[in-house]
Amino acid sequence: MSETMSEPTSNATPSAAAAPGRRQFLRVSGVLAASAGAAPGLLLAQPAPIKVGVLLPLTGAVAYPGQQSREGVMLAVEDINGRGGIQSLGGAKLDTLVADAQSQPQVGAAEVDKLNEAGVCAIVGPYASAIAFATTQAAARHNIACVLDQAVADQITSRGLKNVFRFGPSYEMAVRTGINNFHILNTVAGKPVKSVIVVHEESLFGTGTAATIARDLPALGYEVLEVIKHANPTRDFNNIALRIKARNPDVVMQANYLNEFALLLRTLRQQGVRPKAMYSIFGGGGSNPKVAKELGEAAEGVLDCNHWFNPRDKRGAALRARVEKKGLTFTHELLMGYNATMLLADAIERAKSIRREAIIDALAASTWADHFMPYGPTRFVNGQNQGAQPVVTQILKGDVRVVLPNTYAEAEAIFPATRG
Amino acid sequence: MHTPAPIGRTPAAADAPPAVVHLLGGTRRSIRLLGLIGMALACAPLVVRSEFHLTFMTLALYSTLLGSAWNILGGFGGQYSFGHAVFFGLGAYTGAILQVHAGLPAWTGLLAGSAIGGAAGAALGAISFRYGLRGSYFALVTLAMAEVFRIIANSVPFTGAGVGMMIELRSGPADLQFESRQGYYYFALALALVALAVSSWVRHSRFGAALAAVRDNEDAARALGIDATRIKVAATALSGSLMAAGGVFYLQYFHYIDPMLVFGPAVSVEALLGPIVGGLGTVLGPLIGAFALALVSQVATQALGQAPALSMALYGVILIVMVTFLPRGLGRLRLRRGRHA
Repeated sequence: MSETMSEPTSNATPSAAAAPGRRQFLRVSGVLAASAGAAPGLLLAQPAPIKVGVLLPLTGAVAYPGQQSREGVMLAVEDINGRGGIQSLGGAKLDTLVADAQSQPQVGAAEVDKLNEAGVCAIVGPYASAIAFATTQAAARHNIACVLDQAVADQITSRGLKNVFRFGPSYEMAVRTGINNFHILNTVAGKPVKSVIVVHEESLFGTGTAATIARDLPALGYEVLEVIKHANPTRDFNNIALRIKARNPDVVMQANYLNEFALLLRTLRQQGVRPKAMYSIFGGGGSNPKVAKELGEAAEGVLDCNHWFNPRDKRGAALRARVEKKGLTFTHELLMGYNATMLLADAIERAKSIRREAIIDALAASTWADHFMPYGPTRFVNGQNQGAQPVVTQILKGDVRVVLPNTYAEAEAIFPATRG
Repeated sequence: MHTPAPIGRTPAAADAPPAVVHLLGGTRRSIRLLGLIGMALACAPLVVRSEFHLTFMTLALYSTLLGSAWNILGGFGGQYSFGHAVFFGLGAYTGAILQVHAGLPAWTGLLAGSAIGGAAGAALGAISFRYGLRGSYFALVTLAMAEVFRIIANSVPFTGAGVGMMIELRSGPADLQFESRQGYYYFALALALVALAVSSWVRHSRFGAALAAVRDNEDAARALGIDATRIKVAATALSGSLMAAGGVFYLQYFHYIDPMLVFGPAVSVEALLGPIVGGLGTVLGPLIGAFALALVSQVATQALGQAPALSMALYGVILIVMVTFLPRGLGRLRLRRGRHA
């Protein structure tokens, strides 16, 4: 060590530690004095940035939606900082600390501890419910607010944790709305649909959705012909398509993720299966513009009850255009990441503080209305925004359009969809 | 400065004790070493103030438990299982079902889970070894068994099927849920020490000798009068029981399980990776392996945290390098005794 220190190096910078001479001392102290004089001015102009944790699955099984959500968070931070940061804190900028939950609950929980020590004032994330069970609990220990970007499982907000906030609809809320809206569509059209087949993936989301659909639809007068479960991932839907063909249902309802969603659509098309409608609740690809474009006619008319912005507010379309200009796909994960961050920024603004308790209180009392979701002002009960609701979208002419509820609709639903 | 002794050979100095000491050898030394490690780890929370580092150590100890469980069958017994998740999942689900459906306290789950894990191990061992399944065939059977249980857990109603199961938030040692990180740390440490003590017993007992004999040459062992099937079944039961305790720990720590999380292949891989990196068939191998892997994972994340995919790739590269250059595991690194400096 001592040898290298005394060796002259070509890129040597003046260092106070390396035996300073008198001249060097003067130079260093001069710089210090100058910077000390300038510091108060600098501090006034630039308050310390506000550290916000962004905890998402960026690798592993749910990497794609996690990365999409991160894009949304980053765009929101860009917007907040671009318009002058948090005004009530002297224009302090948001500084994101991104952590990867690797699609595993245990990694997510460990990352919460790391973010805690890095001094974050709140955490946005972690997209998947299974991860959220672990991270919200870990964050509760440190009294850190968790603003969920999705993580729709109801149990996350019903466990009595005071630090958890979900801006969007919970899973139960979405399924209830989804079934009601389906019934409305069918009733308005003169009840052409009588039978349904449900195809779902095997985890929390698909199983729960399928069970609720199978329980509630018969009460509304529909016959559920079959409930078909498939693994994640599934790469061949030929057998399932054949089963659907044999039972010939009026409607196929999907509850699965992007790849399987698209693959089943394609396989049904190949085998010439043409139900009167394809309907999904939180469907993986039902409101994905990429699926709409790439699958072309096979995706035409597909209905999905999902998170989407209010099309009558121009800011939603503007965000979408901005995302697409960057070469990304605009998806609901991105939208919800964006909104979760905006909600948090509003809470910090009103908390006038980066104290964790103050932010939790501000979120709990939040009445945020300056957003472009079809929700109205926020009102949290046990961490769930009561006004949140999904909307029904339909793929029309290769694009995703809101068709229900009428107050937000930008196009009229085609039901039954004339498929093929 | 001295020159290192050639690996795998002891210097032939007749009057001095071997200058090269096997890090993990010797009965008494092993027990003493285990005691020292246990004490050091028990004192760690007094020194480690950072909660993140404590979590890191807790998860490494949890990994040690899984690794030790696997090592009893895979390391000492030479029967490579690729489906240890089956025991892990049984433990976790037993704990969850007893708490959620029967309203029993968590510690009953730990006991019942371990018992069921042991019974499942005995059953799996009996079926496989009775029909002489060895090597890759045994590995395939265990892999299939874990998948079978994953699908069952995904289908039957009392496991919550695909929705999974969540236990209620409570806190208190009787509920095996802890407010502080220290609580979980000591819980993990206790389980890991039990697993290491069992490993140490296996390593030095008559049972362990018979198990090693079966591993090295089953036919010769049989010729010596060892009931190879019985020995292997017992090892599977022991291994399964410890693995199931790992499942209960997971449940108590993360509160939520679903079929993929506890019966999925990731658990089986986690169980076998530690001992392979640390040293197969050694008492401390799983401990060394678990901490080394956790460290490597952290280093990779720190180095390339902003590019998560790259950090995983770096982790993979380091793993390959470790296995290539230390095929016998980190625990078998030989240390030179510095007596004569």
